[in-house]
Amino acid sequence: MLDRDLFPKRIGRKLGRRSLLSALGATAIGVSLEGCGKPVVRGPNGEEAKLNLYNWDTYIGKHSFEWFKDKTGVSVALTLFANNDELFSKLRAGNPGFDVIVPTNDFVTRMRIADMLTPIDKSKIPNFKNLQPAFQTAPFDPGRKYSIPYTWLALGVGYRKSKIDGVPNSWKWLFDSDRYKGRIAIFDEADDLVRLAAKYLGHPGTNIPVSLLPTIEAMYIRQKKNIRVFHEDNGQDLLLAGDVDIVLEYNGDIAQVMAEDDDLAFVIPKEGSLLQSDCMCIPKGAPRIDNAHRFINFMLDAKVGADLSSTILYPTPNQAVLDLMPDSYRNNPAIFPPPDQMKNCEYSTFEGVERTRMFDELLTRVRAA
Amino acid sequence: MAETVNESWKKSPGMFASLLAPPTLFLFAFLLAPLFVVWTYSFGHNEGLTEITVDGTFANYAHALNPLYLSILIKSFAFAAFTTFICLAAGFPIALAITFAKAKTKSWLLLLIMLPFWTNLLIRTYALMALLRTQGYVNGFLHIVWNGIAGVLHLVHGPALPAFQPLDLLYNNFAVVLGLVYVQLPFMVLPLYSALDRLDRSLLEASLDLGAGHLRTMVQVVLPLAMPGVASGILVTLIPSVGAFLTPDLLGGVDSQMIANVIERQFKAANDWPFGAAISFLLMYVTFVAIALQSVFAPKKEARS
Amino acid sequence: MSRSRPGPLDYLARWPLRAWMVATTVFLYSPLLTLMVFSFNNSRRNIVWRGFTLDYYAQVLGDDSLIQAFINSLTIALISTLFSVLLGAATALLLWRFRFPFKAGLEGGLALPIVVPEICMGVALLVFFTKVLPWPTNMVWPFNLGVIIIAHISFSFSFVASVVRARLASFNREQEEAARDLGASEWRTLIDVILPHMRPGLVAGGLLAFTLSLDDFVITFFTSGPDTTTFPVKVYSMIRFSVTPEVNAASTLLIVITVALTAIALRLQGSDGAAATAPH
Repeated sequence: MLDRDLFPKRIGRKLGRRSLLSALGATAIGVSLEGCGKPVVRGPNGEEAKLNLYNWDTYIGKHSFEWFKDKTGVSVALTLFANNDELFSKLRAGNPGFDVIVPTNDFVTRMRIADMLTPIDKSKIPNFKNLQPAFQTAPFDPGRKYSIPYTWLALGVGYRKSKIDGVPNSWKWLFDSDRYKGRIAIFDEADDLVRLAAKYLGHPGTNIPVSLLPTIEAMYIRQKKNIRVFHEDNGQDLLLAGDVDIVLEYNGDIAQVMAEDDDLAFVIPKEGSLLQSDCMCIPKGAPRIDNAHRFINFMLDAKVGADLSSTILYPTPNQAVLDLMPDSYRNNPAIFPPPDQMKNCEYSTFEGVERTRMFDELLTRVRAA
Repeated sequence: MAETVNESWKKSPGMFASLLAPPTLFLFAFLLAPLFVVWTYSFGHNEGLTEITVDGTFANYAHALNPLYLSILIKSFAFAAFTTFICLAAGFPIALAITFAKAKTKSWLLLLIMLPFWTNLLIRTYALMALLRTQGYVNGFLHIVWNGIAGVLHLVHGPALPAFQPLDLLYNNFAVVLGLVYVQLPFMVLPLYSALDRLDRSLLEASLDLGAGHLRTMVQVVLPLAMPGVASGILVTLIPSVGAFLTPDLLGGVDSQMIANVIERQFKAANDWPFGAAISFLLMYVTFVAIALQSVFAPKKEARS
Repeated sequence: MSRSRPGPLDYLARWPLRAWMVATTVFLYSPLLTLMVFSFNNSRRNIVWRGFTLDYYAQVLGDDSLIQAFINSLTIALISTLFSVLLGAATALLLWRFRFPFKAGLEGGLALPIVVPEICMGVALLVFFTKVLPWPTNMVWPFNLGVIIIAHISFSFSFVASVVRARLASFNREQEEAARDLGASEWRTLIDVILPHMRPGLVAGGLLAFTLSLDDFVITFFTSGPDTTTFPVKVYSMIRFSVTPEVNAASTLLIVITVALTAIALRLQGSDGAAATAPH
């Protein structure tokens, strides 16, 4: 084909191209214009009357946001994460605008080491005194400089009474026995599995000697043929649906399904278990720090906390709240396991990236074996 | 019939430039640039919890090449290949039926295939679990059928059947493949349909008139002509299947750990981005080699047609 | 009407294909059907039937953040599909028509979004949009969705290109030559001859892009902020404590709405729509 284009035509074409480019440029500028900024409604403290909360699902009171808005005029926007790893990887590169987050204690440690948390000004949290003394400080945050406890939880064994002989009060039935072959589900969480196995083998859940790891790995590889599934924190569903009869899960999760099925129960094994505590924190770069303090203080209020606890059925660290709660909550053995089950329990702790990596690879090997 | 026109760009530079500029600009700005950042991470190491120092190390790749991860990689490819094969076998008749349906039916059939995929993947996966579990609906249905047969046998004084044993349909490798097929099927059907739709019908009719059966016509006439669609279907089915992590996570059993699960854990639970980046890029290098190999064999097909 | 013998190519009228279509439909739809049924289940959980209720529909319709996520998802899907189809079509034409230096490089670049593990791509975009090119967070809707839309275009347009290119491979060049011989400019030829041929490919590619966008969780998760949650991101975090009927109810609504909208679109398009997919 001959190129018979005429000169003016070519110019026209060039113009066309240029105008296309400038149009692209204009769009780019248009998008980044600050003129697109939102009109801001400010509260009396000079901050926008808004709060971005990053929390777990079904982990807030029925009336929390409504009452907070009535009291302060600040409306809460809730975003949900599915687990701590998600929360961490989301905030790792920078805070996209969250004011209050609710990580678990070992992630409080992680985020403090990584300098991702803003210190909490306790003079703005008068309701701090409502907390039980035991919770006013914590091994992972002495003096509660960065974290205010929200709830606590314990890992244990959920089981179907009619299918299990007696009370399975040892980790043996999950980790080291073929008695319930094909009816076992355990967590797909390297950290928890390694620490719990160490407790079963008679060591504390922290400072696990590296020499013990091959034993743990061999135990899980041996046990693999008896396990039906490594679950994604949906153990309570598997139990309720009858897919398995014995699972590793959190007390609160099992308490929720026990309300639907009388045949289910929860126990913390005699070797002891891992405790966790979800805490309210303010991430670095939070746009509305004063609102964040007001919200944290608000959640510690007795009436607000009682609304929270009766909605989510997790144990509360708040004495003023506990005083308001009915017996059905206070004396529920799945929510508050009896003291003899609690005595060997310890908080799970973050012990550095190298450990995390080691444990993770252990689980990868177990799963691939 | 040529696969590409292959005209030199110099013949119509205006059109060439206006077709070239937008996709390449976009590609560089929003795909290559971000991926480049992560690519550099694969040559770095963690400095504390959130900082990554890029020092040109190959340690991550060396670690990723250890037999543990290689075996998981091979297994993932095997699963994905099996899934793709089933999708192709199942999707081809569907694409064919849609292609030769009446114009009006066609839109509805396409919609029928696509509609389930406008429901969230996770919700669909959970719904699939509700069907497959030990006390799920499939087993429930089978139980009723089983009892029915047992009842009939009882009436005619036949042998007594043993009690019904629910099938293990969930938490195993079968469930993973089933789940992957469920997710990937439309990604196979669409390119197949789009390629088949333009087939010259007279070729098919000629083949049938000449006495070739339908099956033979399919294999010898339709399939070679639809090859570009088949190739594109395989590409868009196979590779996402290798990268799927939700399906093996939720439907798989103790042995269903795939490479994507390992990668996901590096970016989340293990918090080891450099290593995660290294496995990801290793997976990509392998895929590129596979694509390159495929294009080496491609000219033969062209020569045949 | 008496049953006439189907034509040789009327495959849909033949029983093996019919049976296969029915079987596939059952396979694809039975999970959805259980999901819909359980949206009326009077239990927090998805497992045992405990009676009929409409409560969860009321909850969904009263949940502003869920509805906002819903709207966000649809907006993102529509805009990113539009751009993906444009970019994908341009790419397909380019690769189909021209021979040029670095063509293999471009093809390789295009294969990237298909080849990259989703999570790696998500992290890449997260780092890019927070460290390299920070995106302002306080923009009005829908500009605040910009990052997610860009992310969705970048992974879906090469899928569109791949589908459209497969379609172009069957183009009969004589048509184009004829048009050119009749004096049509190359752009006119493109619009009047090549584009109509591409249409089924564009429709199929558009459907694919829409589906990918509407369903994407991993990449969206990393690119969304507190004000830009999408439906899959919301749902994913909601079912940590198992699938609730509320999620089922929302999905049922979504299915009903998409079916209704698509049906209306197909009706409105009428014969035109039929012509678009019919062979020329």
